[in-house]
Amino acid sequence: MLSRAIPRSVLRSTAASSSSSFRASNIYLGRQSRRWYASEAEEKDLVIVGGGVAGYVAAIKAGQSGLKVACIEKRGTLGGTCLNVGCIPSKSLLNNSHLLHTIQHDTKNRGIEVGDIKLNLDVMMKAKDTSVQGLTKGVEFLFKKNNVEYIKGTGAFKDEHTIAVNLNDGGETEVKGKNIFIATGSESTPFPGLTINEENVITSTGAIALKKVPKKMVVIGGGIIGLEMGSVWSRLGSEVTVVEFLGQIGGPGMDQEISKQIQKMLAKQGMKFKLNTKVTKGDASAESIKINVEAAKGGKEELLDADVVLVAIGRRPYTAGLGLENIGLDVDERGRLVIDQEYRTKIPHIRAIGDVTFGPMLAHKAEEEGVAAVEFITKNYGHVNYNAIPSVMYTHPEVAWVGQNEQELKAQGVKYKIGSFPFSANSRAKTNLDTEGMVKFITDAETDRILGVHIVGPNAGEMIAEGTLALEYGASAEDVGRTSHAHPTLSEAFKEAAMAAYGKAIHY
Amino acid sequence: MRATLRLLQHRQPMIKFVGKHTPPAKLDHTPVAHPASPTHTLPNSFAQYRQKAQQHGPLNGGSKLGLGAIGSHSGHSLGSVEPKKGEYFDRDELPRRFRRTPWTTAEIEAVESGGASMF
Repeated sequence: MLSRAIPRSVLRSTAASSSSSFRASNIYLGRQSRRWYASEAEEKDLVIVGGGVAGYVAAIKAGQSGLKVACIEKRGTLGGTCLNVGCIPSKSLLNNSHLLHTIQHDTKNRGIEVGDIKLNLDVMMKAKDTSVQGLTKGVEFLFKKNNVEYIKGTGAFKDEHTIAVNLNDGGETEVKGKNIFIATGSESTPFPGLTINEENVITSTGAIALKKVPKKMVVIGGGIIGLEMGSVWSRLGSEVTVVEFLGQIGGPGMDQEISKQIQKMLAKQGMKFKLNTKVTKGDASAESIKINVEAAKGGKEELLDADVVLVAIGRRPYTAGLGLENIGLDVDERGRLVIDQEYRTKIPHIRAIGDVTFGPMLAHKAEEEGVAAVEFITKNYGHVNYNAIPSVMYTHPEVAWVGQNEQELKAQGVKYKIGSFPFSANSRAKTNLDTEGMVKFITDAETDRILGVHIVGPNAGEMIAEGTLALEYGASAEDVGRTSHAHPTLSEAFKEAAMAAYGKAIHY
Repeated sequence: MRATLRLLQHRQPMIKFVGKHTPPAKLDHTPVAHPASPTHTLPNSFAQYRQKAQQHGPLNGGSKLGLGAIGSHSGHSLGSVEPKKGEYFDRDELPRRFRRTPWTTAEIEAVESGGASMF
C-alpha cells in the first residue's frame, strides 16, 4: 500500500509545518487514532503523581540528579496537605494563638503590663495564608530552578508507563515515564454517621479555616492532630472536649509517662478529656451538634453538645481516581500501596512513597523516602532508617520522641534503664519561666545504647533532632552525657537526662 | 586532644567516624518486604508479575541474584541486542506496545487524500 510506504516521521513533520487548518484535522485524527496521540506524548525519566512533600522533594532531587522529570499535582499549589492544609498552617495558628495566650495569661509576673488584648481572627488567618503562600511559591520556584516540569492537573494511570492528565485549565494531556512515583498522600478518615462539611463538622482542613471561634468544640480523637487543633481553639476561647477511644492521648507511639504529663498540662490550660470513651452517634442536623459517647468497654451513655466537631481519628491513603485498577496494583486492607524495600510496587518501575504507603504518615518521613526512591533509580542505593524517625506534637509545651517507648520495650521484654531530667531544674527554663516537662532517656541496660528519647517541654521539637542523630549513630547515653552543651540552654536538660541514664545528673 | 585521648583510654565511645558515606559493595535488589510493612511479607503478585513480564529480560531470571533482580546489571552487561547471523526478529513477538499499529481505513483515506477526507 502506498500509504504504508510513507514514513511516520514525514507525516509528523508535514503535520507540524502545515497550516493551522490542517493542524486542526490532525488533532481530530489524533482523537480518532491512538497512533497520533501516543506519538505526541513525551517520555520522561521520571513522572511523579502528587506534588506533596514526598512528590515535590523527589522531583527536586530527580531534577538535581539530571533526570528529565515531571510532577503532576491537582491542588493548584505544591506542597500537598503539609504545606497547604496541614503542618504549616497549623503551626502558624499554634504559634500565634500561643502568643495571644501568653499575653493574656502570662505577662503580669514577667513585669509586662498590657492593655486590652483582642483577637483579630481574620488577620491571624491572613498571617497563616501568607506563610503558606510564601512556602508553596518557594517550592514552585525550586521546580523551575531544578528543571522540573510542573503539570497542574489530575493524573490517572492509562497503562504501566502512561499517565493521562486532566488539566486544571481544561483539556487533557498524556505523559509517559520510564519510572513513575505514586505520591498521592492521604486524606482524613471520615467518622461514620457524621458528614464532613468543613464548617461545623470539620477535619483538620476545616480546623485551620474556621471563620469564628466556636463556643464549644468536641474533638473526636486525641491524637496529635486533634490535640494541636484543639489547643489552638482552646487558646482562642473555645471550650474544648477531647474524646479518645484509647486510655492515653497522643497516640500509641507516645510514651505513657509523657502522655500523662502532657494531659495534665493541657487540662490545666482548659482542655477537657474523655479517655477510654467511644463516640456512638452524632447528630449534626441542628445548629448545636449532639454527640453521644459512652465508655469504650460499654457503660452509661453521655450526651455532648458542640458548635463544632473536629473529626481527627486518623488519616487514610488517598488513591481515588488514580486508575490503579488499570494497571492492577495492590493495596492492603488499609488502602496502602504494597511496596518492597526499594519502594517498588509489583510493577518495578512504579514506586510509591509517602503517606500512600507503609510507615508513619509524617512529612519528614515522606521527604526521606522521596530522596531515597530517586537514589534507587540514579545510584541503585537509597536509605531511610525507620527506627530513627522523630515525632513531634506542637502543643505548648511540645512533645517529641524518637525510638522506642517504655511500654513497647516492656512488651518486648528488653532490659532497659531510664534517665530523666525535669525542666524545672534547668537554668534556661527557669529564666524563661517555662519549666513544665522533662527529658527522658531509655537505654539498653547492658550496653548503654540509646533506645528511645522522649521529651515534653519547651522546644522539644527542636531538641529531638539531637536524640535522632544519637539514635542514627547508635550512640550511648554516655556519648551524649560527655558532649558539651552550651550554658544556659534548654539542651542542657537533654545532656543531664543522658547523664542520669548511666550515672547521675548534676543539677537534680 | 590529650585530655580526649586520656578519656578514651577508659571509655570506648559508640560513636565512631566511619569515613565518607559509600554504598555497600554488594547490593541485592531482589524484592523483600518493606521495613515498615506491617505483615513483613510481600504478596505473591510481586513474583507473579515478574514471571509474567517478558519485556524486561532481567526481571524474569537470567540474573545471578535470582528472580526480580532488575537494575542489578547494566544493559551493556546483558550483551548485544543485535540478532545473530541468520536470526530474525518478528515484531509480533514483541510486547504489544512495540508492535505496528494497524492502519485504519480512515487513516489510509486521510493520508491518500492529503487530509481532505477528514472534512
